[in-house]
Amino acid sequence: MPEITLQPISVMTDGGGHEGHLVLAAGHLVAVLSRVTAEETLGEREQIEGWFLEAGFGPCGPLMSVTPPVFTDLDQALAWIRTRLEAGLDPS
Amino acid sequence: MTNPLILKLEQRDQLSDAEKRALENAISRVRVVEADEDIVREGDRPNESSLLLDGFAARYKLVSNGRRQISALHVPGDFLDLHSFLLKTMDHGVLALTTCRIAAVPHATLEKITDEFPHLTRMLWLNTLIDGAIHREWLTAMGRLSATAHMAHLICELYLRLKVVGRAEGDTVQLPITQAELGDTLGLSTVHVNRVLQELRKEGLIRFQGDSLTILDWERLKKVGEFTSTYLSLQNEHR
Repeated sequence: MPEITLQPISVMTDGGGHEGHLVLAAGHLVAVLSRVTAEETLGEREQIEGWFLEAGFGPCGPLMSVTPPVFTDLDQALAWIRTRLEAGLDPS
Repeated sequence: MTNPLILKLEQRDQLSDAEKRALENAISRVRVVEADEDIVREGDRPNESSLLLDGFAARYKLVSNGRRQISALHVPGDFLDLHSFLLKTMDHGVLALTTCRIAAVPHATLEKITDEFPHLTRMLWLNTLIDGAIHREWLTAMGRLSATAHMAHLICELYLRLKVVGRAEGDTVQLPITQAELGDTLGLSTVHVNRVLQELRKEGLIRFQGDSLTILDWERLKKVGEFTSTYLSLQNEHR
């Protein structure tokens, strides 16, 4: 399992900067996460605030996975990323 | 209140009194389906077709992990499964998004209509052709338009479809669809749906409060959505 590191970064969404993180696996960018408010998850079955996968690369990207639901915390987000890095073509 | 199916068909061609009577008499019963209940299920082999009289419904399919794609949205006047008359087995489900009033039209009655009313049969055929045209348009929008353009396109289409059946008040329609349901329709996450709606609001194109959607700038909204209404076959001409 490659080492996962996070780098804080501001992500431009919604016409403004959102708190975000670059997620690297063994030094390669695999995901960009941003903080979303409850307002942005309005009309979802469960309206929560948390972390949203703004972009994914490789096994975390659109060629091999589908956009996951908003994660309630960073640990959940990283757990998903780790699963994707190990999973290959299984889309969950 | 005029049967919305008659309004929908009369937009596209004249119906004779006999044809209108045949459609009214084709309804064997009216039932109510509550929101979030299936109207028809994948795998069903119904012996009647369901006509939506009131409410909103969604044609959908589930894939692994319970993810859902909505392949069509239905408004009053739409047949939810006219094609089940000929396709026999449902390859997808239809869900009530709101409380729906559904008219049942037995397949035996539809068969009699095809025997006795050739023009009306062509109008029913036109109905399924329009469904197909909408699917093609949605496919193009989903594949090649930005999410914002895709949403603009969908809004233009739903507004016109509701207007045809008398459900528009000026530039405003009631659209009781959640962001999650819009996401399942457009192939977007709920976060993206909210952002896209925000963008359209910010640009002064729509106002969306509760279920009420008002189009503020029709020409610009059409431009953003690359929308032309040709595929809806809205012209009245001999069919």
